[in-house]
Amino acid sequence: MSRIILEARDLHYRYPRGGEVVRGISFHVRRGEKVAIVGPNGAGKSTLLMMFNGMIRPDSGTMLYDNCPIAYDAHSLRRLRKSVGFVLQNPDQQLVAPTVYQDVGFGPANLGLSEEDVKSAVQRALGAVGLEGFEHRTTHQLSGGEKKKVAIAGVLAMEPEVLVFDEPTASLDPRGSEEVMDLLDELNDHGTTIVISTHDIELAYPWAHRAVLLVGGRILQEDVPEVAFGDRDLVRRAHLSTPILLDLYHELAERGFPVPARRPLSVLDMLQVIDHAFEQNTCRAHPGTITVHDISVAGEEGLASWLAAHPGARIGAMGTRAKQRAAAEGIHLHYTHGVVDKCILRALLGEETAIMTTGGMVKRVVERVEEYSRQGGTTIPVVIADRP
Amino acid sequence: MFEELLEEIAQENALRGTNTYLKLTVGLGALLLSLLSAGFVAPLFIAFTMTVALLYLARIDARTLGEAFAAPVSFAILSVAAIVLVSGGSGAVWIWQPFSWLSLSVTPTSVDYGIYVLCRTLGGMASLLFIALTTPMTDLFVVMRQCRVPPVLIELVMVVYRTIFTLLDQLVRCYHAQVMRLGYSTRRESIRSFATLCGAVFIASWNTGEDQIRAREMRCYDGRLVVLGETRPVEARPALAAAGFLLAALALTVLSGGVTLLGGAP
Repeated sequence: MSRIILEARDLHYRYPRGGEVVRGISFHVRRGEKVAIVGPNGAGKSTLLMMFNGMIRPDSGTMLYDNCPIAYDAHSLRRLRKSVGFVLQNPDQQLVAPTVYQDVGFGPANLGLSEEDVKSAVQRALGAVGLEGFEHRTTHQLSGGEKKKVAIAGVLAMEPEVLVFDEPTASLDPRGSEEVMDLLDELNDHGTTIVISTHDIELAYPWAHRAVLLVGGRILQEDVPEVAFGDRDLVRRAHLSTPILLDLYHELAERGFPVPARRPLSVLDMLQVIDHAFEQNTCRAHPGTITVHDISVAGEEGLASWLAAHPGARIGAMGTRAKQRAAAEGIHLHYTHGVVDKCILRALLGEETAIMTTGGMVKRVVERVEEYSRQGGTTIPVVIADRP
Repeated sequence: MFEELLEEIAQENALRGTNTYLKLTVGLGALLLSLLSAGFVAPLFIAFTMTVALLYLARIDARTLGEAFAAPVSFAILSVAAIVLVSGGSGAVWIWQPFSWLSLSVTPTSVDYGIYVLCRTLGGMASLLFIALTTPMTDLFVVMRQCRVPPVLIELVMVVYRTIFTLLDQLVRCYHAQVMRLGYSTRRESIRSFATLCGAVFIASWNTGEDQIRAREMRCYDGRLVVLGETRPVEARPALAAAGFLLAALALTVLSGGVTLLGGAP
C-alpha cells in the first residue's frame, strides 16, 4: 500500500462570526489515490480542501503533508503550495493574468524558474490539457471549459504531487465535464494524487478509488464508493441520492433476483448484474476484438491501414495526445470518455473496436479487458497493434 | 449598451500576426506627420490610407470602423464649423453680424483653415484607430517590458486589464438581470437601477480583488508576472509597405506644405 501523502487529524474550523464548519475531521489520502469528498452544499467541503494547501489554518487539529505537520510561515507555505495544486470551482476567480501564456506561466515564474524553463513548463502544461496554440489568447475570451482547462494548466505547470479540485465539473456542459474527468484520470495515471469535492454523486461514484461522505462538517462515511454510497439511509442523511446503478442493483436484490456480490460501477458492470439475475449470457455473439493503438510507438500507416480494413468500426481515444492525434488526422471518435467499458460493450455484440491511447494507458486497457473477461466469463480478445 | 470593445476587435484583426513595433511605427509615424503637416493633403492621404489598411488589411468591419469614427468626427465637424465661422479673413462670401461684438463670416481663408483642421483631425484619428484596432493591449505588454518600463507598472497595467474584463462581465450580467425585471422601464426606476448597478459592481470589484489575492497566494506569488517575450519577426513585405507609406506621407508633408484648396492663407 502506498504512503500517506495528506492527512487530517481532528480538524476544527469556525469562520469569524459564523458557526463551526469543520467539526473534528480525520482522514488521509494515499499517494496516487483518487479521492472524492462528497456532500451537500454547506457541508464544509471547500473549507476542508482549502486546508490542504494552507489557505485556511484550522482552529485546532493538525494537517500533515507527507507525514510532516504543515507549517504556516511564508517559506513553508510556498513549498506546500508548489506540491499541492488547487483548482477553484470558478475559473474566473483563479485566472490572474490577461493572456493564457501569462496565466499558466504565473506559478513557474514565481517559483523562480528562468524564462526558458517557464516557457517549456507552459508548453508542457498546455499540451497536457490539450490547449496548444492558445498562448496568445486572452483569458476573458475563452469559453467556460477552456477557462477551466487553463486554470488546471496553471496549476499543472507547477508540477504538483497532489491536485485538489473544488467541484471540477461545476458549470461545464456534459462534454466539458467528460473531458475534465478524463483529464483527471490521465493525470492520475501519470502518478498525480487527485482529491475532488463534489455534490454530484453520479460523478464521484464510478470515478473515485475512495469516497468521503461529509455532512455538517463531519465525516459520515469513508470507504470505496460501492460501500460509501451503498447505505441508502446514510446517503439520505447526507441530503444526497444513491447512484442510479446502485439503486437498480438494490432493487433487483430486494426482489430476490440472484445478483453478484460485486456492486456495479458502470453500465458494463450493470449489464453483468442483469445477466446474472436473469441467468443469461452477456455475449450475444462471438465477441469482437478490441485493438489498442499505442500512438506513441505506432506509425501513421498502421492506424490508417487498420481503419481502412475496418470501415464502420467504433473508435475511442484515451488521453489528450490520442484525442489531438485523432483530431489532426480527421478520425471521428465515437468514444472519448469511459472508453474501455464502451468498447467492451460493443465487443460483446460482436463488433470490432479500436482504442487510440499512449504509453502506460495501454496496460490499463488490457488489464481492464482481462479483468472483465475473468469476471464475466466471456473472453474478449484484446490486441495491441504494431507490436509483436 | 455594452457594444463590442475595441480591444476585442484588435484581438481578432487580420494584422494581429504582424510585428508590433512595425504597427506602432506606422501608427505613431502617421500621427506625427498629421500633426506636423502644414497642408491638408498629407493628413488626408494618411486618413485615406489608414482607413483602407484597416478595412482591407486588418479586415475590420466597415460598420464597426464607421461607429468608431462617428463620435470624434462629429465633434471635429462641429469644431470646424465654428472655426470656419469665427476665424474671418479677406474676401468674405457670406457675412452676418448678429451683435456688434460678434461677426460671423465665411471666407476662402477660413474654409481652407477649416479643411486643414478637419484633415489633420481625420489623419490623427485614423492613425490612432490603426494602433487601437490592430495592436491589442496584450501585445503592448511585451513592448513595455522590452522598453524597460518598470515591472511594477507593467504588473499594475496587467492587473487593471484583467480586472476590467471581470468587472465588465459582472456589470453586463447585473444590467441584464435588471432589464429582465423591468429595471429601466421608467425614469425613476432607471435612476434607482443605475444606483443599484453601481453598488453591485463596487461590491463585485471588492470581491474580485480578494479572489485575485487568494488565487495569487495559491500559486506562490512572489511579485513576478511573466510576459511572453516574443514579438513576431519583421517580414519583408509589410516592412517595405510601411516604409513606402511613411516615405510617401513624409514627401507629401514636405511638398504639399502650404497648399490650400481655395487659395486662402494657410
